Amino acid sequence: MERADGLLRVAATHYTLSMDKDVNGTMTWQPMLELFTRATPQEAATLGNDTEAVLKKILTDTTNTNSLRVIVSRARENARGVQDHITKEVWEAVNSIYHLAEGRGFEDQLSSYGALNVMEQFSRHCVLYTGITDITMPRGVGWSFMNLGKYLERSLEALALTNKQFELIQYDLSDTRDIVQWRYLLLSLSGYELYLKTYRSPHYTLNVLHQVLFNEHFPHSLLYSLTRLERHLRNVVKENRSADSEALVRHFGRIHARVRYMDLENINGRTLQEFFAELRQDLLQFSKRLSQHFFSYS
Amino acid sequence: MRLDNLLQEYHCPEGIWDEMCGVGAIRDHYKRVFHSLGQLEVSSLLQKDRMAAELFMNQGITFTVYSDDQGIERIFPFDVIPRIIPGREWDLIEQGIQQRLKALNLFLKDIYSNQQIIHDRVIPAALIASCPHYTREAFGISVPHDIYIHISGIDLIRGKDGRFYVLEDNLRTPSGVSYMLENREVTKRIFPHLLSDSQVRRVSNYPLLLHEILLQLAPSQVSDPTVVLLTPGVFNSAYYEHTFLARQMGISLVEGRDLTVDNHKVYMKTTNGLERVHVIYRRIDDEFLDPLVFRPDSALGVPGLMSAYRKGNVAIVNALGNGVADDKAVYAYVPDMIKYYLNEEPILPNVPTYQLSDPEARAYVFDNIRNMVIKRTNQSGGYGMIMGNTVTGAEWDKARLSIEKDFRNFIAQPIIPLSTVPCFIDGAFRPRHVDLRPYALYGPQGVKIVPGGLTRVALKEGSLVVNSSQGGGSKDTWVID
Repeated sequence: MERADGLLRVAATHYTLSMDKDVNGTMTWQPMLELFTRATPQEAATLGNDTEAVLKKILTDTTNTNSLRVIVSRARENARGVQDHITKEVWEAVNSIYHLAEGRGFEDQLSSYGALNVMEQFSRHCVLYTGITDITMPRGVGWSFMNLGKYLERSLEALALTNKQFELIQYDLSDTRDIVQWRYLLLSLSGYELYLKTYRSPHYTLNVLHQVLFNEHFPHSLLYSLTRLERHLRNVVKENRSADSEALVRHFGRIHARVRYMDLENINGRTLQEFFAELRQDLLQFSKRLSQHFFSYS
Repeated sequence: MRLDNLLQEYHCPEGIWDEMCGVGAIRDHYKRVFHSLGQLEVSSLLQKDRMAAELFMNQGITFTVYSDDQGIERIFPFDVIPRIIPGREWDLIEQGIQQRLKALNLFLKDIYSNQQIIHDRVIPAALIASCPHYTREAFGISVPHDIYIHISGIDLIRGKDGRFYVLEDNLRTPSGVSYMLENREVTKRIFPHLLSDSQVRRVSNYPLLLHEILLQLAPSQVSDPTVVLLTPGVFNSAYYEHTFLARQMGISLVEGRDLTVDNHKVYMKTTNGLERVHVIYRRIDDEFLDPLVFRPDSALGVPGLMSAYRKGNVAIVNALGNGVADDKAVYAYVPDMIKYYLNEEPILPNVPTYQLSDPEARAYVFDNIRNMVIKRTNQSGGYGMIMGNTVTGAEWDKARLSIEKDFRNFIAQPIIPLSTVPCFIDGAFRPRHVDLRPYALYGPQGVKIVPGGLTRVALKEGSLVVNSSQGGGSKDTWVID
């Protein structure tokens, strides 16, 4: 569900911004295709300017394992399998998004200039799901596991989107790109308004980097997600003390510390690129280890 | 257009007992509903119909058929018009089911121990020995409180004489109770005033009653027993019901792989380590329960479960081996069981049943096939039935060959025109055949039956097959005083 929410925000942002003529040229959908599909560079380049085709690919195409329809279907199947651990309200929230995604006319609405309305409708359902989960789920181990998944996904999403944007400027931290160019990233992470209120200096590139990596008031920042991940991990391990679970906590602690104690001033372009790649690997490895430790028999 | 116009056009079928229409008049217990419906506009009822469908879909009250990893979900069709049973009739049904269950339970205890009923020649030994669901592995096992049939669904039909008859006993893993409960919740949304004004007996306490009984089956020295519901998993067509009941009772829903047996004790694998399990409400058939004892290829069960069961370290609900008592050939002997064990006459009669293992009965049935329905003794869900009034010549020839090779496993019953009830179909009221499945819970304090049960309706015109897998639907069932 976190992935669905992220996908919708990014898609809606891109769709809206693509109607403005970009200062550096026309925006294409190519970066989105590279992030959310397994399209080859050639396919991405071909489709890159065809809004309708791209929206169908990332939202309704069931051959794309990261399409909204597939993600929501999987979330729903997961929910079906753990119904005794989630509340009825949470189940109904997931189920209703599923039926919306499976409903007839979804593709048609994407074709007829109703795309933004449809994406906003889904976004509202995702927000509703988040609210219902927060209000109804008991704060037990189930809740902690849900949040582990959510914040892992959020961390990886923030990394992927940020990495993609910095890739476009060749990780050049001295780039003088205007804040308008960074809107895409900030709006995709729901962070534009916070940026405007928080950062006053003209060092836009560094400011954006700080916000998405280190700003603990920003719910989509990497550090925010990692802090919450650690909290929920400790909650889970508290109920399940063993040498392996303590090792898991230490493993995560090292990842968290790496981000928490990083100096923005010491980051250069090469360091940043490596940092993104290594951190992504670390998080994926942690995720795998978490699954093996708690769910290995399945 | 108002509904009273449509109601006036409702044709009570000839020669069939209609639940709403009496002789020349609406039956007393339907008058309030008839009058209230008459005040509504057609568009209003259509809207309620749509709302009901959406409610079912949104809550995921479906049954699923999986193929190629794609889940095809179907709403269990629901007709908005309730089926109503007067309280005095229900009380008789309740007494009849209580009597029947007591006798069947005593039969199961007997058949898996002394087998006195066979020694006294009330039931032929060959019938039991040839029953595919007679579970030899259950012989001699003591069960808590000597209760074998904790949860049952007794299928009743009403004939044209207005009497209720028992059509079938479901004593293994009867399903449908979640639909009964959810039907009531949906009715509360679409007819709130009518429901409250009609003083309908409640059904909502079923999960609590069931949980209470499950707890009572645990070993007495355990103060806080762990009860689990064992499901085959998400691919089972009744999975929704399993999740529903687990949630309503606040117990864990597990699959076979979530359980393990160590030193003849059953444990549940949790993130906190192994947790002892005392009672298993299983929705898995006997043959899949333990691959070390039954089907070795079963991936649904728990290796070693039978050893724990035998030692009395875990209670299993319903008990193993109940299938011998709901075999359709053994069904014919239930009135004899009631007389034998309870020294009473059956309150609820059986539908006349012909054992096709009897040559005379077989000859009679074959000569009168057009008026008969033939069923496999160990089949359920309406599958494999041969409806004599609709079977073609070629189909009958083929079926007859199967029967003659294996006649022990077939019975026949006369086709009984089930009672009808008005259903709201395509914007009009149409009579459709129904049956009734009350759900009974048998615990140490006796048999408790939830008022009403599930009314299943054959939605196809003229059809007598009410099973969901064959296109049937359901109605909310009101017992009113």
